[in-house]
Amino acid sequence: MVEFDRSAFIAKFQEEATDLLQRLNEGIISLEADPSNRPLIDQWLRDAHTLKGSSRMVGLMEVSDVAHRMEDVMVKVRDGEMAYTADMTDTFFEALDTVLFLAEHAGKESAAEADFEGVTSRLAALAAGGAPAAAAVAARGDEPQPTRLQTPVSTAEPLQAGALPDEHDDQPDDESACDARTPGTRQEAQREEKLTSREQTTVRIRTTQVDRLLNLVSEVVIAQIKAGQRVRDLRASAARSTEALQTWARVKTLLTMLAEDQSAALDVDIRALDEVLLSQRTELAMLAKDYADDTSRTSTVVGDLQEQAMELRMLPVSTVFNTFPRAMRDLARQYRKDVDLVIEGGDTELDKKVLEEINDPLVHIMRNAVDHGIEPSAERVAAGKPAKGTITLAARQEGDHIVIDISDDGGGIDPAKVKAAAVRKGYLSEAEARSLSDREARYLIFEKGFSTAAIITEISGRGVGMDVVREFVVERLKGALDVESDFGRGSTFRLTIPLTLAIIRALLLRVGGQTFALPTSSIEETARVERSEIIKVEGREVIRRQRRTVPLVHLRDILGVESGADDGVSKIPIATLGFSGHRIGLIVDEFVGEQQIVIKTLGTHLKRVDNVAGVTILGAGEVVPILNVPDLMANGRQLTGVRMRRQGATKEKPVEKGPSRVLICEDSFTTRELERSIFEAAGYEVETATDGAQGLAKLREGLNPDAVVTDVQMPNMTGFELTRAIKSDDALKGIPVIIVTSLERDEEKAEGINAGADAYITKSVFNQDTLLDTVERLIR
Amino acid sequence: MTSGELGAGSIANVQVAEVLRRRAESLAQIQDEETSRDTRGLLLFRLGEEWYAFPIEGVREIYNDYLITRIPRVPDYIFGVVNVRGEIVSVTDLGTMMRVPSRTQRGPDEELPSAIIVANDRCVTAIVIDEIGDIVEVPRESVEPALSTLDKTQAEYVAGSVYIEGRLIGIVNLDKVLEPIGDNA
Repeated sequence: MVEFDRSAFIAKFQEEATDLLQRLNEGIISLEADPSNRPLIDQWLRDAHTLKGSSRMVGLMEVSDVAHRMEDVMVKVRDGEMAYTADMTDTFFEALDTVLFLAEHAGKESAAEADFEGVTSRLAALAAGGAPAAAAVAARGDEPQPTRLQTPVSTAEPLQAGALPDEHDDQPDDESACDARTPGTRQEAQREEKLTSREQTTVRIRTTQVDRLLNLVSEVVIAQIKAGQRVRDLRASAARSTEALQTWARVKTLLTMLAEDQSAALDVDIRALDEVLLSQRTELAMLAKDYADDTSRTSTVVGDLQEQAMELRMLPVSTVFNTFPRAMRDLARQYRKDVDLVIEGGDTELDKKVLEEINDPLVHIMRNAVDHGIEPSAERVAAGKPAKGTITLAARQEGDHIVIDISDDGGGIDPAKVKAAAVRKGYLSEAEARSLSDREARYLIFEKGFSTAAIITEISGRGVGMDVVREFVVERLKGALDVESDFGRGSTFRLTIPLTLAIIRALLLRVGGQTFALPTSSIEETARVERSEIIKVEGREVIRRQRRTVPLVHLRDILGVESGADDGVSKIPIATLGFSGHRIGLIVDEFVGEQQIVIKTLGTHLKRVDNVAGVTILGAGEVVPILNVPDLMANGRQLTGVRMRRQGATKEKPVEKGPSRVLICEDSFTTRELERSIFEAAGYEVETATDGAQGLAKLREGLNPDAVVTDVQMPNMTGFELTRAIKSDDALKGIPVIIVTSLERDEEKAEGINAGADAYITKSVFNQDTLLDTVERLIR
Repeated sequence: MTSGELGAGSIANVQVAEVLRRRAESLAQIQDEETSRDTRGLLLFRLGEEWYAFPIEGVREIYNDYLITRIPRVPDYIFGVVNVRGEIVSVTDLGTMMRVPSRTQRGPDEELPSAIIVANDRCVTAIVIDEIGDIVEVPRESVEPALSTLDKTQAEYVAGSVYIEGRLIGIVNLDKVLEPIGDNA
């Protein structure tokens, strides 16, 4: 199985241990002054116990053992079996320092430098009340100890730590051995060093405080952007001043020519104006240059500030990934697959906010990989692959993005199967399907409600498809989800997300007299095209770009804003959006420019607005809506009519043949009538049968329903038998079979699937909507 | 507290300050005085020909001189959003929302009247109305259920009514006004 990465938990443990050790140390000091303080002892014991438990959780067995032995001693003190002595203080301090050292060096080789054996033996001796070693060993024998600690104390004089076989301990401490205050010079030095380093390590801050700080930083970033605009304004102003000077020079020549009898007064004025204009230009140029220099200097600082501030919220992805081995085991069990999970790049860091959002999409993709990707072992072996499938989760940073690849070595996505499913479900016509490239076909899995699964179970195919995952990624994480697949060899889903959700690059554009921001990450191209390049195909406007036909749509139509006629403009600005294999060209009024923007929400009142992902505040305080790319794509495709939806496909199908008909096979009267009422309410024609045999008879008589809904346990013929009969009958096998049952065990589910059922709904999750949804999806 | 002139003219800043001062006072009094427990603070405002009121505890501030950014494809009663010191707040046209004829729908270049920023524990919005009136304290028992004669759409938005100087004032149901938009997506 997967190696369990404890690094993230160790960090958490270290944080906790720091607090616990602090309290334990303080407790010892207080106890020395007041050895019989029972509440103090109890508190101390609780802390030691916590330390023992948490260290064991993260696999720091040495720490756990030291804590355990400290407890042993303190319990005796509490129970009056032993009096608290000054010796104990020293040993406890030493033990706590060892714990601190072990905790801080967890997972590092240097951890071996700790005098673990010495400390445990001294604690054991204390617990044994200074009695001979035999007693100490016996005392320890009472309780189960972590295996590693079973090493019997090899000397009759446990206090002589130096006498223990300890290669790491090259410290000549024989003379101090009898004194429990073992630490020699080296350890003393170490303790000193620990003290200083502890001061510098970490400060815990509330996340709200970090967020507030980040808010302020983004205000500074906005101010900086504003300053950048001012620099441009100043430069333009300086340029105009130069222009003025040049014009003046010409006017001056003209004046001197015209006014032949140059009066002294005019001369003075001319010279004065000369001077003023010249100095004004110089001043402006200087000002522009100085300000530009200042701005660029602060810009570096602001950039660093922003980066540092963002880093405050960065956490390793392992904090999320670490729960996956367990989740994967559960998924593999659920789908009866044999799967290994390999995690790579767990220490890649990501904004905490992004991390919080990333878990669900990843789980969905992994579930998809287990369900649709990895083949059953027998199939794998037959294909010459190892019986056990492998899913790899690899994270890495690429520039200002994090890329997470979820790869499986399963069957890959079969373009033919996807196309067939798309045609069956009415997304595409046969002809359209044939013209689709394999790559385009693979993207069909991102279509709304699309599932290639041959069988619908509650776990997959319940509507949370890849479309939902992709939309979530693009909408919430401002990222992208892509798929690569090698049929027969496996698939890779690639999740690309920005390091932070707070700041993105965006293209500012104008439509209908209003400015909008469009995230640059989804723009494939911006161009100003000649009117003649726009061609009409079947009443739709398109352009040809790089040998591809890109449908065009007016952004003003998607947004429903008024916009002046653009007939007079010769070059038309078009921003081409690329989104999961689809392209669309947005016609806008004007491009304003590209810049970094700080994302803000639309406020608490407007939770979700079509086409708008949020707003940003520009330099001048102007609020600009940020457009939502998935919405634009969906709405734009609807407008251009290229949406591969049923409207187009159904035209080729025969005209509606009236209401759909279902056959319900169910022996329970109540359930039968309940199901009947559900379907009738939804406009279905309903036929019923009280068992499988009756149902099959009706089918063979030519009932020809659009779907069969059947129970499993029925007299005469079970639902499984009925399903098998239907699926092995050439005349009937096209009819979808939905099994509704109270049998929830995996074996039964598997039997249903093997029998050839198209969907399997357990009564425990049964409700009107699932039933109707499932049937509707199967018969459309 | 005085009920003052209801039909006060346009709101000058002085008046706004006065309104806020009185509001602060009344808020302070709610905690100080035992008797105030039996009264309700209301901020009166005019919408078309009618006078309405917001419960004072829902009023956050009065906001002037704002620049609205229109947001496409939102309900017709949403003007857009404004930037209130870095916080993005939606702007609601209460007249359109409650289907009360009012002058809040203006041409693009016309200046908008003052907005009242209201909030509950979930949402904040700036509400554009025709005219802001006074803050009054009314005895709690004088608040009656909303008139049954109200239009159905209006009835939803009115939580109660009260007579002040012979005029019937509808108390706006802020929780209804502040229902998040597009939440079901």
